[in-house]
Amino acid sequence: MSASVQTYRRRSRFVMTWGYMRRNPSLLIGSLMFVALIGTAIVAHFVYDVSQYQPLSVMPSQPPSAELPFGSDTQGRDLFASVARGTVLTLGIGLIAGGLGLLIGGTLGFISGYFGGWVDTTIKLVVDVLLTVPALLVLVIVASAVGELPPMGMAFVIALLAWRRPARQIRSQVLVLRNAGFVQTARISGCGPFTIIFKEILPNLLPFLAASFTVAVSAAILASVGLEALGLGSQNAPTLGMTVFWMMNFSALMLGMWWWVLTPIAVLIILFVSLYLITAGLDELANPRLRRRA
Amino acid sequence: MTTVTSMSADLDADPAIDRVPSDAAPVLQVEGLAVDFFADGRTVHAVRGVSFDLAKGRRLGVVGESGSGKTTTALALMRMIKAPGRIVSGRATVGGTDLFALSDAEMRMERMRTVSYIPQGAMNSLNPVYRIEEQFFDAMIDHGDGASRSDLRLRVAEALASVDLPSDVMRLYPHELSGGMKQRVCIAIGIILSPKLIIADEPTSALDVITQRQVMSTLDKVQNRIGAAMILIGHDIGLMAQSVDELMVMRDGVIEERGSIDRIFAVPEAAYTKLLIDSVPVFDRKPARAKAQAAATSDAAPLLELSGVSKTYGTSIFSKGKIALHPMSLRMPSDRPSIVAIVGQSGSGKTTLGQLALGLLPPTTGTIRFAGAPVTGLSARDQRSFRRDVQAIFQDPYSSFNPFYKVDHAFTVPLKELGFGISGQARSELIAEACAQVGLDPTLILGRFPHELSGGQRQRLMVARALILKPRLIVADEPVSMVDASQRASILANVQALKDNYSISVIYITHDLATAYQVSDFVIVLQNGHVVEAGPPEDVIGASKHPYTRLLINSIPWPDPNRPWASADELDNGPAAPSGAETFAPALHSFSGGVELEVPE
Amino acid sequence: MRFLNLFRLVSMFLLVVFAATTLNFFLPRLIGTDPVAERISAIAETGGGNVDIEAMSQAYRERLGLGDTLWSQYLSYLGDIARFDFGFSIANYPVTVNELMAQALPWTIGLMLTATLIAFAIGSLLGALTVWPHAPRIFANLTPAIMVLGAIPFYILGLLLIDIFAFRLGWFPIGGGYPIGARPAVTFDFALDVLRHAMLPGLSIVLAAIGVWALQMRGMIVTVLGEDYVTFAEAKGVRPTRLFFRYGMRNAILPQLTTLALTFGQIVTGAVLVEVVFGYPGLGTLLFQSIGYSDFFVIQGVVFVLVLTVAISMLIMDIVLPILDPRLRG
Repeated sequence: MSASVQTYRRRSRFVMTWGYMRRNPSLLIGSLMFVALIGTAIVAHFVYDVSQYQPLSVMPSQPPSAELPFGSDTQGRDLFASVARGTVLTLGIGLIAGGLGLLIGGTLGFISGYFGGWVDTTIKLVVDVLLTVPALLVLVIVASAVGELPPMGMAFVIALLAWRRPARQIRSQVLVLRNAGFVQTARISGCGPFTIIFKEILPNLLPFLAASFTVAVSAAILASVGLEALGLGSQNAPTLGMTVFWMMNFSALMLGMWWWVLTPIAVLIILFVSLYLITAGLDELANPRLRRRA
Repeated sequence: MTTVTSMSADLDADPAIDRVPSDAAPVLQVEGLAVDFFADGRTVHAVRGVSFDLAKGRRLGVVGESGSGKTTTALALMRMIKAPGRIVSGRATVGGTDLFALSDAEMRMERMRTVSYIPQGAMNSLNPVYRIEEQFFDAMIDHGDGASRSDLRLRVAEALASVDLPSDVMRLYPHELSGGMKQRVCIAIGIILSPKLIIADEPTSALDVITQRQVMSTLDKVQNRIGAAMILIGHDIGLMAQSVDELMVMRDGVIEERGSIDRIFAVPEAAYTKLLIDSVPVFDRKPARAKAQAAATSDAAPLLELSGVSKTYGTSIFSKGKIALHPMSLRMPSDRPSIVAIVGQSGSGKTTLGQLALGLLPPTTGTIRFAGAPVTGLSARDQRSFRRDVQAIFQDPYSSFNPFYKVDHAFTVPLKELGFGISGQARSELIAEACAQVGLDPTLILGRFPHELSGGQRQRLMVARALILKPRLIVADEPVSMVDASQRASILANVQALKDNYSISVIYITHDLATAYQVSDFVIVLQNGHVVEAGPPEDVIGASKHPYTRLLINSIPWPDPNRPWASADELDNGPAAPSGAETFAPALHSFSGGVELEVPE
Repeated sequence: MRFLNLFRLVSMFLLVVFAATTLNFFLPRLIGTDPVAERISAIAETGGGNVDIEAMSQAYRERLGLGDTLWSQYLSYLGDIARFDFGFSIANYPVTVNELMAQALPWTIGLMLTATLIAFAIGSLLGALTVWPHAPRIFANLTPAIMVLGAIPFYILGLLLIDIFAFRLGWFPIGGGYPIGARPAVTFDFALDVLRHAMLPGLSIVLAAIGVWALQMRGMIVTVLGEDYVTFAEAKGVRPTRLFFRYGMRNAILPQLTTLALTFGQIVTGAVLVEVVFGYPGLGTLLFQSIGYSDFFVIQGVVFVLVLTVAISMLIMDIVLPILDPRLRG
């Protein structure tokens, strides 16, 4: 036993990470898909004229060709430019909304779980009640009151309710760790609440927080695409949701323009599946009990 | 909530006495059993070359530490080894049936009918969503019992009666039963088809000593009734001495030693067996204790002083709450170190008392003072100096260390937070020295992550951690209950050394009277938050006056096959239901070796 | 004890509905625009077509109590909601919001309820079989496909299904609830038409939701497999099918139902978007059209009805759970 521990210790971090990735195929495949998609979108900004997402930039209603890899829509938008730009924009919305949600929810979760008492009772009640409310529908009301939402506005509107799930999940994790033996050890070692939260509890929740973050990002993207598909996005921003909206609004299917239908769908499927796989992989890392059975 | 608490215990025949002779033909034969686990491209040999046989009516104990292969051996006999494990070789026959040659469907039929398994952790062994009777029916029907429900019920009632449970238990749900009752139900399920072999896997590990004694009597009785052979798996060699005819000691997947229980206790062959036997603390082997100094009463403030302290949990406008500790006063002297043992079962309030002394919980009534100053409501600075003086060792060495950091973290944090102002080379030397003081080689221990060390090593590190802060008082809450048996004695020696070598006073919290007897100067016995008896260990444990203390002592399985367990009568007449504790709480005033205890009427 | 529990559940239900309506009222106002006034003035500018603008703006001025304090506006809004009075549609004045919703509701309930229940049953079973040790190997191999299905939003799957089955293969109609020109009637032919039209939207909800349920069930079963009662049941020599259903599924379904309650909101939202994709004449499509017309009162009405649906399903779930789990019976 001790011999294997020694060899384990001597291996470099890179080899260890690679070894872990191989045992956790969800994380590996998910990360590869994600990097490939986002990488392509970013590279396209440098080697391709992505400003052709604007209407009337190219010949309308063209099927895919050498010049227009994904074809164009009836308004003369270059679909490749649209999704390259849209992937970056939509991911940006997801990162901002998901990040804000995790930050607010995480703060509430830590306060609620660690300090307990009436603060906890209040936060828990509010979160439980709000979790039952279908978020997207409330956001429909907000968004329709605002009118057209630019990507940044979209991110903030979604963040309004994105904190609920992280708050609940992180609270229950902190509730368990608060009574862990090492927290007791820290308390009798003279550590105050903030040292305990940041130095003792937080590091142990890192894989969990990472999984929470990908879930939050994925949920925020889902919400933004949903709101935009309903027609609540900005007409001038080529987000993935707006591409879906245009496609539905102009009945691309009826027109037989399959490339217009399939392009945003394919990108969204790759995006959601890769985020899901990363989450599943991180869950496995955070919770060894879910480890795959041979 | 309709929890059934009363039970009719029918323990008149003590089965430990009429043991079956060993010359009967073996009902179980195991030859060359080997089980491997395949993980991450490596093969772990969990069990190697295990061979033994067992005659009808005989009881074989299998003892070993976690990872010794004892449970794997049992599961192999049930053919219930889960992937990535596999039985790689060997033969096992029960009553002529070659278990490893059967198809899966045939093996399923043999389970329960030929070999039955009584699981560890009875708390969760019953399906929570069905009534008790359903859990019998499932097994009976799937073994071809096509009888009507009313006939099945009659047989279930009979089985329940044989484990001293009333028949209306069958209409209840598992969560309505106590732990001891659940374990009895599991035993009743295990014997309802009269198997030839019963495998009981640590059947009492989750129970307190009193319930353990009762459940073991029941198990012995039903095994005798159906005449099956039995394998009892466990880690408690004292329990083995009281329960089995033969003993098999396992370590790292192989048999270290096997023989009759009398022979093994008289002349253990393997050094490991001897270590296991010696590690069980007994009253007779009390280490020479430094003679208590003359009680020179000093005027200095007591080291620790609890005055009229009580603790109630969960008080709200809806509920009066649950009293965890009734009012008591305790003084520990400041002029000489002492070890005070707090003894009690789970729920007795002993851990609450420890948390109060540590200042981690505020008392509901009364005041707690350390060296004359109150321990709650301190300024940050006083809090620091209090923490330097009062330290703790917790029960669970597996969770006491933050898995994110190397074990050194447990030393560096208190040195920094408590303002020792020591760092660099000096700090490293100090830490290394503390490790050496508890018998650990610092070069092998420091710089490692907690999961790389054994429970025993980690618990010693916790002692070293407390030591480095040079406190005056240490609260040790069950410091050895989660450590492997072979490590216990040396950790207790570490605790003892705190007082003897470093003049540190200790509050030693435990459920184990024997270790309390060994290390302490003063013993307090708690039951349901009441002090029932207190005084020097020679009086409280050596010549106890209170029936509850006697019951606790008599329930301890003595690691000596020739010294039988408490007779069944004694258990029956004892306060079986601890709910009536109030009636046993006398007004107490105890004084010994500078420790004073008062309990108001 | 029992009564107290029911009281707790019902007050939780009321609290959820109250919180949702309050959010509906305040969030748009926080942003500081008055969508109704803007909308009405926009209609007035364009001449208003065949709508009687004077009568309509008068009705809304009264209804919104413009000029009153925010607080009294809020109270009268709560009163309207409590009476299920959502006012008139702006785009179709003087048609009331309730009339529009009454037409759409049966379509939504029929589609969503059936699809959700089918998906829950199939998904839970499938998910359990992917990790159950004695299940055929094929189920374990289905896991990646289930993962992909579970990760795709319902309506995206819907678009894909239309493209393949309606557009390319022509097996099913492209959209709508019944053929254009057909009159709703209680005849066998019409029922068959309705079924044909419900097939693809139903399938896209079912397929995507199967993925969600299966993945959750998979996690539950992994937990249950580690429980002592499963080990003991195996030691009891219980038949494999009994072990699976009475020990595995029966216990794993309990947390699954709690999660069902928690994720119900997401499912309803997903189903709403599926309706839009298929032009299905339910609440989702009504919502989509109202957003297009900025028909604010219809939006509020539809959202309230959907929130209420979710809250009611949760209440039912909370009442049903103790029947299935004896530990929850107080």
